[in-house]
Amino acid sequence: MSNALLSVTDLHASVEEKTILKGLNLTVNEGEVHAIMGPNGAGKSTLGYVLSGREGYEVNSGSAKLGEADLLDLDPEERAREGLFLAFQYPVEIPGVSNLEFLKAAVDAQREARGEEPLSSKDFLKQAREACKQVNLPADFLKRGVNEGFSGGEKKRNEIMQMLLLQPKLCILDESDSGLDIDALQVVAEGVNSQRDGKRSFVVVTHYQRLLDFIKPDFVHVLADGQIVKSGDASLALELEAQGYAWLQEQRARDAELLGEEHV
Amino acid sequence: MSTWLANAIVRGTDVSDWLSEKRQAALGKLKQQSWPNRKTEAWKYTPVSVIDRGAFSPAVNDVDANAAIDAIDNLDASALVFLNGRYCEALSCKTLPEGVSITSFHNASAAQKEWALAQFASVKPDRHLFGLINDVLAEDGLLIDVEPGVQVTTLLRVVNLFSEGIEAHSRILVRVGKGAKLAIAEEFTNSTPSLNTSFAEYVIEDNAELEHYRFALQTGSALSVGGGHFKLHDHSKLHSTLVGFGSQLSRVDVDIEHAGQHAYAEKNVVYLLDGKEIFDLHSTIEHAKPNGTTEENVRGIVADQAKVVFNGRIHIHRDAQKTLAELNNRNLLLSRKAEVNTKPELEIYADDVRCAHGATVAELDTKALYYLQSRGVSRQDAQIMLNFGFINELVDRMPNEALATWLRSKLKVRFAQMKVSSPQDALVNS
Repeated sequence: MSNALLSVTDLHASVEEKTILKGLNLTVNEGEVHAIMGPNGAGKSTLGYVLSGREGYEVNSGSAKLGEADLLDLDPEERAREGLFLAFQYPVEIPGVSNLEFLKAAVDAQREARGEEPLSSKDFLKQAREACKQVNLPADFLKRGVNEGFSGGEKKRNEIMQMLLLQPKLCILDESDSGLDIDALQVVAEGVNSQRDGKRSFVVVTHYQRLLDFIKPDFVHVLADGQIVKSGDASLALELEAQGYAWLQEQRARDAELLGEEHV
Repeated sequence: MSTWLANAIVRGTDVSDWLSEKRQAALGKLKQQSWPNRKTEAWKYTPVSVIDRGAFSPAVNDVDANAAIDAIDNLDASALVFLNGRYCEALSCKTLPEGVSITSFHNASAAQKEWALAQFASVKPDRHLFGLINDVLAEDGLLIDVEPGVQVTTLLRVVNLFSEGIEAHSRILVRVGKGAKLAIAEEFTNSTPSLNTSFAEYVIEDNAELEHYRFALQTGSALSVGGGHFKLHDHSKLHSTLVGFGSQLSRVDVDIEHAGQHAYAEKNVVYLLDGKEIFDLHSTIEHAKPNGTTEENVRGIVADQAKVVFNGRIHIHRDAQKTLAELNNRNLLLSRKAEVNTKPELEIYADDVRCAHGATVAELDTKALYYLQSRGVSRQDAQIMLNFGFINELVDRMPNEALATWLRSKLKVRFAQMKVSSPQDALVNS
């Protein structure tokens, strides 16, 4: 039996008083890759935001643990230092703050939290350059403002580059495939696959089966209306791709009906 | 009436040189002007009484040079040094770039005097009180003339140094000939108690290009009133960066006149204020001819009880069709007692133009804050990074990278000091 890295239990969360997550349960063990699929508005992005501690995302009940740490009690930066990483669907542009300065601050903060010395500028630059190379970004992107004027694909690759540098325990990829052409998709997938070491875990949020051709999941979950409604292995993604989500919802409705009848 | 002004008028009457005719004209206008008070629109928020309270003596020769010229790494530059308002050849660079003639007022040749006389007080409008005072009292100055077609790659650093208790007035006249290119930085970095006025008039001829910087970094009781005035001819380009710290009196007047068609002006302004400092910028862009473009970005951070005054006027004349003009002023306040008086003014008399202006007292972008935090950066460090990034965005636009690197480190030092005197959390609790 593997060790549970992420345990989300009966999580209810809302945004602007609208309830989005309605009792979500998810356990991710060390070294596993979980894919979360589901229709628009199901709460896929909300899960990432709630776990990473975005302002305005209220947790109403439930718990979320990363290892021993109770995520929901921590500030966003503390969650990151515990090893949580969210690759954003829409990474924000921050002109005036250079990518390099930002990455050095992030890496140093995480090293400090682990009781390690900050890296020398030279060592850091070397690592950052290598990470750039791995995701196919020219090294001069390090000098530019964070995501400033980057294309959609460059932003996504910049997220993966940050992941390579920060070496988190759990990575949540929020639609890292959206807006990517096939080459960029492969770069993103290779970046992720290079980090699969039997201990690091991934939650891959996506609309499409396509990304899962490159990042093979151990489990696939369907998130609908704020809950995980179905879980299976990689073949579930293929089934969803072929049939869409409608059949699932019909099946749920039938199940609910059956349950209702039993109660009569 | 100000004793200082009365005295300046008396002193002005005595000045006699090849510019006398111009000086007398200015003196006549100066006598018509009254000393600013709170009812004077152009000086509404900036008291000048501090000038009368100081006891400044006019510059004397042979003052011991407290000549701290900042060394700037990797910069290709020639330093031109003013010591107490007088051009100091001994401290200035001996080798000058080719194709540009640089002469002090005292050494000007007949030919140089001719163009200088035509340019003196012709680019700078008469309405600036201290400009008139400078017309009358600036005993020395530099004439910088770039021959047509010459691309000067070496930056000219005009470094202004002052001794304690000194009053100094200096002038710069620059002509960038047709198709020529010049980069120049006016530097004021000393903070010795002193008073100076320094006005510069630039003519950028057809197809010429000027890269201009003014670093008004004097603080404390270094009182400084100055101006940068630019005349743009057909297809000329101006990229100008003004950086200001506040002092008891720090005022800059900027005028950019699109005197030709298809001229392009980008003006970026950054200020960082602390304590009880004042920084006052009045800028006027005159679009007199069609097809001109102006982009003016004014940004700053104001801490403690400091005060910023910004008046930004864009005037589009009837003939200036197809003008594109944009002006924005964004401020971050780090304390409840910090003050920003901002007034963008658009006056448009042409009907086919595109103009925008705006002024904001901004809050930090919460999305950006969350993004930085989500990578492990503490909230406090993220705030500092974003605050600095807010002004650094304009520093990034400086074409001269070595100069930008130097400036960034100066701004960072300043910024770190500001944090100590007014932590952001104090704002939340007050």
